[in-house]
Amino acid sequence: MSGGFNEIHPEPTTFWSKYIISFDHKVIAKQFLWYGIFFLGLGGMMALLIRWTLAYPGVPFPLLGNLMFPDSAGVVPPDTYAMLFTMHGTIMIFYAITPILIGAFGNFCIPLMIGARDMAFPMLNMLSFWFAFLSGVVLLISLGLPLGAAAGGWTSYPTLSTIIGQPGLGQTLWSLAIFLFGVSSTMGAVNYVTTVITLRAPGMGYFDMPLTVWGLWLTAILNAIFVPVLGAGVILLMLDRVFGTTFFLAGASATSGNGDPVLFQHVFWIFGHPEVYILILPAWGIVSDLLSFFSRKPAFGAKATALAMTAVTILSTLVYGHHMFTTQMSPLLTQSFMTLTMTISIPSAIFFANWLGTIWKGSIRFDSPMLFSLGVVFVFGLGGLTGLHLGTVTTDLYLHDTYFVVGHFHYTMAASVLLGGYAGIYFWFPKMFGRMMHEGMAKIHFWGSMIGLNGIFFGMLMVGYGGMHRRIYNPFVYESLQRLIPINTFITISAIVMGLFQIVFVINFLYSLKKGPKATQNPWEVGTLEWTIPSPPVHHNYDVIPVVKCGPHELGNPNLKTGRDFQYQTEELVQG
Amino acid sequence: MRRSEIQHGLGMTMVLISGTMLFATLLMGYAIYRTSATAWPPVGTNPISLGFPILSTLTIVLSSYFMRKVRMESGDLKKAKMNLDTTLVLGFLFMGLQTLFWNELKNSGLLVSSGIFSSVLYGFTWIHAAHVVMGLMSLLWLRFVLKTGTRNLDVKVLNVEKFWHFLGVIWIIMFLTLFVL
Amino acid sequence: MNWFTLSMPPKDISTNGHLIDGLWNYTTALCIFYFVLVCIGLFGFSFLYSRKRHKTPYYTYGNKKQHIIATAVIGAAVFLTIDLNITRLASNDLLNTFWKYPDPATEKVLRVEVLAQQWMWSFRYAGEDGQFATADDVVTNNDLRVPVGTKVLFHLTSKDVIHSFFVPNVRMKVDTIPGRVTRIWWDANVPGTYDIACAEMCGNPHYLMKAALTVYTEEDFQKWMKTSEAMAKNTNDPDNKNLAWGWKWEI
Ligand code: HEA
Ligand code: HEA
Ligand code: CUA
Ligand SMILES: [Cu+2]
Repeated sequence: MSGGFNEIHPEPTTFWSKYIISFDHKVIAKQFLWYGIFFLGLGGMMALLIRWTLAYPGVPFPLLGNLMFPDSAGVVPPDTYAMLFTMHGTIMIFYAITPILIGAFGNFCIPLMIGARDMAFPMLNMLSFWFAFLSGVVLLISLGLPLGAAAGGWTSYPTLSTIIGQPGLGQTLWSLAIFLFGVSSTMGAVNYVTTVITLRAPGMGYFDMPLTVWGLWLTAILNAIFVPVLGAGVILLMLDRVFGTTFFLAGASATSGNGDPVLFQHVFWIFGHPEVYILILPAWGIVSDLLSFFSRKPAFGAKATALAMTAVTILSTLVYGHHMFTTQMSPLLTQSFMTLTMTISIPSAIFFANWLGTIWKGSIRFDSPMLFSLGVVFVFGLGGLTGLHLGTVTTDLYLHDTYFVVGHFHYTMAASVLLGGYAGIYFWFPKMFGRMMHEGMAKIHFWGSMIGLNGIFFGMLMVGYGGMHRRIYNPFVYESLQRLIPINTFITISAIVMGLFQIVFVINFLYSLKKGPKATQNPWEVGTLEWTIPSPPVHHNYDVIPVVKCGPHELGNPNLKTGRDFQYQTEELVQG
Repeated sequence: MRRSEIQHGLGMTMVLISGTMLFATLLMGYAIYRTSATAWPPVGTNPISLGFPILSTLTIVLSSYFMRKVRMESGDLKKAKMNLDTTLVLGFLFMGLQTLFWNELKNSGLLVSSGIFSSVLYGFTWIHAAHVVMGLMSLLWLRFVLKTGTRNLDVKVLNVEKFWHFLGVIWIIMFLTLFVL
Repeated sequence: MNWFTLSMPPKDISTNGHLIDGLWNYTTALCIFYFVLVCIGLFGFSFLYSRKRHKTPYYTYGNKKQHIIATAVIGAAVFLTIDLNITRLASNDLLNTFWKYPDPATEKVLRVEVLAQQWMWSFRYAGEDGQFATADDVVTNNDLRVPVGTKVLFHLTSKDVIHSFFVPNVRMKVDTIPGRVTRIWWDANVPGTYDIACAEMCGNPHYLMKAALTVYTEEDFQKWMKTSEAMAKNTNDPDNKNLAWGWKWEI
């Protein structure tokens, strides 16, 4: 028997082995959670700087401006602006959302929800976190460089990201950081996939897994396959920058260039498009589960939802070209990518229908995790549907690289995935830390965020359709865009509102960690495996590996005689 | 099969899938460069001599053969160690040959920065070599483990072997596409 | 003006821009339709089936025949209205219009070569001899002038990094890529001055990389062209490497 296979390891006793170099998936999950929240805050602060600049160009940033930009009297300078949105995008995607949704929930939920004592490879799991940590450190160092951090956009298209456009060390460190993060993600993915396949509790078939696990599992598969593609891309980019190869160099400014800058775009999006589903699949999974749990009835068409998510996973590998319509690929490719992109709306519509079917005729409890899940349905509707405008080649010719795109992906990522993440945090916090979060503050956080983010992102869609393109320091050098000043101001105010309400979350989180009421074993009254054990679970999770006898969503069964309206997965399904 | 065997086999499969995707991306890039180039190698480049690449290929194939024997004869620890040592020596020889090859390229005037042709030659062999270094490290680790003994020895031998074969296969594909074709 | 009108795109000055606007409107109408459906479900069910109003949930897996049919109908509706129709309309527009590059041999076309560089647009007209990359080419910087109602065919490339040639008023953009030539065509029907923007991040002053598009009446354009050609003959310096960036026009 080897390392990870469901044995009971002795509990580590020293501080070092318990909290730092921990092999325990629950501790690693918490490490990822802190890591993610830290970077979420950092990325969010950057977003506020971005927004301030866009609404009030040339006006010093209040309070902190003079501290951060003494040379320009507190005004964000143009080169800093470019670094800001580059780092904002990079940090939010790789260092905030990925650690929270995949690092934290993946580690915490997968073993607990499938009835395992730990991941298949605990040591790899530990390494995965520390690689991510290293990567984060490299990224943070790059922020302090004299020539500044990377400033070519999170997509880092060459030739801008080669020496021609980014002479500083920042872009090199960016590539290195992304590569290290890729190694970390791949390690995590290897672990998740293996764990789900080999360590499911006896009796648990694939369709008995909670949909959260489905989402995380599909995510891990995509990660294992496509992160190395980005890895190859950034290695070549690094070679170009450090050793003078010319993989991505071309044109008159490249001395010996006969490479191909567009190749990087292909490589980036072969990874990049699956990446956006990597981010959202866990959120879809969480939402599908929570809607059922809090409607007190089985997930509507759970099998179809799982299969639809699988279909999206498969399709997501085939549509990447929709990010490159304006580079003029061959007509055949262009049309195929458009058609395939549109096809994704069908599985999406199916699980939307299932989500609505789940709350239909339920007995809905509006606890905070449920509110956030319902919020996801709302914002992902908007985010997904605006994807259609972009997937259509002709309209994309106008919308590409405008704020319409920015609005679309903030709705899908910064709204849907973020709210999904919050739903997960509110839901599993009791199990993670053994205490309840404050419900009132959670509700304030929800409504404040909903108002804030819809203000921001709908505003973005509007200015985008109005013709404002992205990544510009001062849009109002274009006379035709000056009419959009009021809307931009409105977006910025919404962003500040959004930011303020995130503080409520942070306070709630920290407060509940110390002072929250002790959580019972099963505060939400649901039947998946993690709720059959104490909160927080003991080191080895399960004293006895549970045997699974029914599905994860057995709620509201009228035949139940136990006085509960749900049954645990370890109980035989009660039939009439 | 035992559960832990399945588990480690699966884990290794995922690692190899990831590795394959990395090299597949490189080869896709190569295909695009090659098909869109007017001449390959570009006009004015001396044809590269195949001496060292051929030797490298032979070495890595041979090393794979001995690596395979490690597991076949793992009942006999002494033999296993000897085969592993041979694999290690051949592995280091491979790295040596690669270094000689790079030197030869450099001396023939083909520098890293001389354009896309040399970028591909150097870049791809470097990336492969970096993986060989990782392979050598796992071989050394296995050598250590063989000496000290461990649980699940056969699973570990099998996984290192798979990784080593993988490196060999990638090299052969690179040899065929970059040098022969 | 209210925000709704403010956020409408700038005035469409081309013959075919309405195709893009039309498809946008169609897509948006569909999106609103589906989103309203989602909202009805979301808010309606939340209201009707809250714990207060609806004590006992309806125990179902959603695998009854009518459930499956309902889901399938939604899927099929999305397929028919969204997938099939939008894809078909867009493909038609592409094949019949946007990808039908005008042929200078058979119709009246103004050809322009475009060089993007950090952070400037340069435009090159063939000049008197009708040949590009010759000494009499008319070259302008950040200043594109075209006659009204004439198809303009652009061949574009970039000197350093990727830029994107974006003319909001004709609803079109195309990337300019170092080492390759991309093309785009459109026409402008309303005389006036408009913005040309660079839409792809190309360095810190990316936001400053704008050019002016002037749409002239036919006479004004000819007048301007004549003076420019004369000026070009006098002042063009074929040895100046910076100005001689043109290339032979190829199809
Ligand atoms: C989590 C992230 C996420 C998700 C889920 C999506 C989902 C989708 N995205 Fe998005 N996208 C991004 C993140 C995401 N995207 C990012 C980050 C970028 C830009 C990166 C950059 O350039 O910096 C981008 C850019 C982007 C582009 C490129 C735009 C451009 O640069 O020009 C395109 C083009 O096709 C596109 C399309 C789509 C489509 C078709 C979907 C589809 O999956 C959406 C499917 C969903 C639906 C269609 C809605 C569901 C259906 C219904 C509601 C039907 C009704 C149902 C009932 C009535 C019950 N996206
Ligand atoms: C998941 C990813 C994600 C998230 C959550 C966000 C969140 C936000 N984003 Fe971001 N954004 C991207 C991903 C994301 N974004 C990407 C990929 C790009 C493209 C980059 C590129 O072009 O290369 C982009 C670009 C982008 C732009 C375009 C820049 C440009 O093109 O010029 C803008 C402009 O308004 C913007 C704004 C915002 C705002 C206002 C938020 C708000 O939602 C943020 C609100 C959150 C906060 C304000 C956090 C407050 C938190 C605290 C107060 C807690 C503090 C905690 C601690 C200290 C522990 N973003
Ligand atoms: Cu040129 Cu942006
Ligand atoms: Cu995409």
